[in-house]
Amino acid sequence: MSKDFSIHVEHVTRVEGHGNIEVNVRAGKIEKVEWRVVEAPRFFEAMLRGQNYNELRPITSRICGICSIGHSLASLKATEDALGVHITEQTAILRRLAINAENMQSHILHIGYLVAPDLFGVGSVFPLVGTKHTDALLTIVKLHRLANEMSDLVCGRTIHPIRLIVGGFSMVPTEKQLLRLRERLEEARTLTSTVAGTVHSVADRLPAFTRETEYIALSTENEYALYDGVITSTDTGKHPDYKEYQSIMKEYVVPHSTAKYAKHARDSYMVGALARFNLNSSQLHPAAKEVASMFGLKPMNYNPFMNTIAQLVEFAHNIEDSLHWIDVLLENGVRDEKPAKIKPKAGRGVGIVEVPRGILVHDYTLNSKGYCTKANCIIPTNQNHANIQKDMEQLVPEILSRPEKEIELTLEMLVRAYDPCISCSTHYLDVTFV
Amino acid sequence: MKKIGVIGIGNLLRKDDGVGIVLLERLQKQKKELPKNIEFIDGGTGGMNLLHLLAQFDTVLLIDAVDFKGRPGEARVFSLKDIQSQKKPVMMSTHDPDFLNLLRLSQELKELPETLVIFGVQPRDVSHGMGLSKEIETVLDDLYLKLQKEIQDFVR
Repeated sequence: MSKDFSIHVEHVTRVEGHGNIEVNVRAGKIEKVEWRVVEAPRFFEAMLRGQNYNELRPITSRICGICSIGHSLASLKATEDALGVHITEQTAILRRLAINAENMQSHILHIGYLVAPDLFGVGSVFPLVGTKHTDALLTIVKLHRLANEMSDLVCGRTIHPIRLIVGGFSMVPTEKQLLRLRERLEEARTLTSTVAGTVHSVADRLPAFTRETEYIALSTENEYALYDGVITSTDTGKHPDYKEYQSIMKEYVVPHSTAKYAKHARDSYMVGALARFNLNSSQLHPAAKEVASMFGLKPMNYNPFMNTIAQLVEFAHNIEDSLHWIDVLLENGVRDEKPAKIKPKAGRGVGIVEVPRGILVHDYTLNSKGYCTKANCIIPTNQNHANIQKDMEQLVPEILSRPEKEIELTLEMLVRAYDPCISCSTHYLDVTFV
Repeated sequence: MKKIGVIGIGNLLRKDDGVGIVLLERLQKQKKELPKNIEFIDGGTGGMNLLHLLAQFDTVLLIDAVDFKGRPGEARVFSLKDIQSQKKPVMMSTHDPDFLNLLRLSQELKELPETLVIFGVQPRDVSHGMGLSKEIETVLDDLYLKLQKEIQDFVR
């Protein structure tokens, strides 16, 4: 078949003006398939240099409003590692609640507001209001609200947390508040099943695409790893020396993008919910395993579109895991602990956590007065860019005979499945007066 | 008593894009002088996560950097019906940088506050970096006074 067409999907900002999906086909032959991104974490690294250790967390939480808890936790872990600070069991539990809250917030947002419109065959979330899908949307809104409230309770804010500080928490939730949250989470179990049922009813719209790749995530013997664990690859197994993360996440630059790319054992690897599922699914709570089995999701799954389903599975797990940790807190009794005392010293620290989009690394070097002299942040979205590119290179020839609009939509859906983080962009309104 | 929210929006790591947060922080420091039914919220770059914040209030004043092709540092107060977005919808990420999309969803869900006013400041420089540009920094006191007056009118 011979045809000419080009796809050019403008992604974000008028500031940089880069197109993000570029496909050129001439006489049925693919001339170009490119995933282009505008992103600049290196600027953040420069902003951290010269800052006091206490300022690193508040600044890095500003990198992204959706992943601000994750950036905060990676930052705190790196700072505490550099300063030799140990946290209490209660702090570690509260941080696990925080990470669950953010995962729930982000996943339900992605499933409900970004992927659902594709599955229901509408262009955006807006047409879903006032249709037969309104109830499903309102259920999603309720779950999103609960996740926000949980984040508020544990971190002091829905966005850009304030209670997470070096060595502990500036304020902890009361037992009464935790009991109330517990009730709300129990109610959320049924709502989650409703959402899973709705997504399942349209899941056949997820493209049946597979491409074998490497998956990287934290893993640990103790739990489904989010807050702590060892860097693990589906190709090469465990890599316990966390300070040597750069030998796993090998960053490089490509001519068509301002963002850094990353690779390890192959040309690309994937991070995020599907990577975690492929590596650690046996540690999921039974309720989450039930959701996985409803969709026939089993490790190894090589379909990037199933990342959304893995997020749904994790959402169910996050609820159960939070209930577990709330029970432990209530059993131990919530103590009004003061954060650990800090004595600045020179050193290097690395903090690694799993955030909604995948494994996140912060690496700081501090001088003897506790000021940052060097910083490195490896964000999940950058680690996924090469994988998105490789997916597109395989996907486009497979769907080339389809109508142009369908090819464009499928490629957009692929990008949406990864939910790339673009919060480093500007947020100002660009308007004309009418 | 009506619940009033004053929400600052923007990215502090992109210079003038963060002017809404800088002004909000000033207000927070002076909040004793302002009525108690006002809640001050740092919305940062929360994107869609801000949806539920809006639903909590009867009246909202948003403080944000707004490119209305004005003079850097110029402030304009307007409501949604006064404007048209120049940004294309993104829909490829939940990190949607266009707050107007979120307002639209809030409206569709019938959660939009009864009154919503935007205090917009024309940015000069939204490149990466912390701190405001000189043009905005020099008019910050004036902007703050104008904002304060706006809030007084708002609660009246």
